[in-house]
Amino acid sequence: MIEASPWNLRRVVLWIGRLLLGGIFIYAGYSKIFLPNKNLWPFFILKFSISLNLGNFRDQVEAFKMLPPWGVQFVAHTLPFTEVILGFLVLIGWRLRIWASLLTFIMIGFFVVVLRAYLLHMNINCGCFATPEPIGLRKILEDAALSGLAVLMTIFAFVEARQPHPWAAAEKARDSLPAR
Amino acid sequence: MTSAGTSENAAESRNASPQLAPADGGVTDVDPHKAFGSKNAPIIMEVFSDFQCPACKTLFLTTNRQLMDNYVTTGKVYLIHRDFPLPMHAHSRVAARYARAAAEIGKVEPAEKALFENQEKWEQSGDIDGTVAAVLSSADMTKVRALVKGGTLEPLIDKDVQLGQMYRVNQTPTTVFHSKGQTYPYSSAMSYEILHQFLDQLLSQK
Repeated sequence: MIEASPWNLRRVVLWIGRLLLGGIFIYAGYSKIFLPNKNLWPFFILKFSISLNLGNFRDQVEAFKMLPPWGVQFVAHTLPFTEVILGFLVLIGWRLRIWASLLTFIMIGFFVVVLRAYLLHMNINCGCFATPEPIGLRKILEDAALSGLAVLMTIFAFVEARQPHPWAAAEKARDSLPAR
Repeated sequence: MTSAGTSENAAESRNASPQLAPADGGVTDVDPHKAFGSKNAPIIMEVFSDFQCPACKTLFLTTNRQLMDNYVTTGKVYLIHRDFPLPMHAHSRVAARYARAAAEIGKVEPAEKALFENQEKWEQSGDIDGTVAAVLSSADMTKVRALVKGGTLEPLIDKDVQLGQMYRVNQTPTTVFHSKGQTYPYSSAMSYEILHQFLDQLLSQK
């Protein structure tokens, strides 16, 4: 995890990236699983609510017309949970290089899909969150900005690992010394 | 959608403007022309839909038939169809009027089927009259047109919309389940596979 040390641009970007992207991913996954149908009890009601919400998301994935039926099912049933877990891992900063890389990969992949839909004038709604939102230029620019932030965050995570701040490096050096 | 005898009998015993009757389970303002099955069924389903909504089309064409055959006609579910035309759909209210008019004369099934199956065509052209006329006889169409122009159907549609607003319906389709005093509103189209599991669970509750 990132040690406490003075701020620089790299660390600011890392913190902003972790908070913003981690938070967005957690909310995106949560909303796909639990919104808009969120009757929670008893258990079979919850199960029905989640099935309906994931079914709704499956229709949105299918609308992009990029995956075969089994691919659509796979994405619809795994992506929301992956987003929540990934968002949480990035937020806490554990093994940041790995999870930031994966998050960036997903972010760029999604940006490419949405951009393709926009350029082909496909009249579909983005399935990012529970409430469908049409794909417009604003959406494209938002996704481009977030993808750029994700790329920067990942690059800086690798740089930070190789060139930690002198204060953090000194602490690590102290920690690696045998106890007296 | 079969009428299960309800729509036809109701049409015979009423005048041009139908009266709304209370149903069991606390559900009121039920238009008998748009309700199917036994009023004493343990589960009541109110389906708020918009004829111009693609998800509503999916629900009607893929789930409704099996629901009618396995739960409505067997007395397990009392199905009520509510109109909830969304403001962004230019022709959905007109479509709702035609469907209601067809329901008044006991032809709700062919009319709704025609409207949903040809949704993409009439939402571009606005030709709802032609869509419904293609599946009804000219005599029936004359009655439908008279009812649409008569203005008696609009208050019924408004009542459904008000009821939907009371349930906080903000998208279509939204299905409100009533069972043993509990109310469960659900948004989005549901596959029959998921729906029947849910209905069976509700029915098995003591």
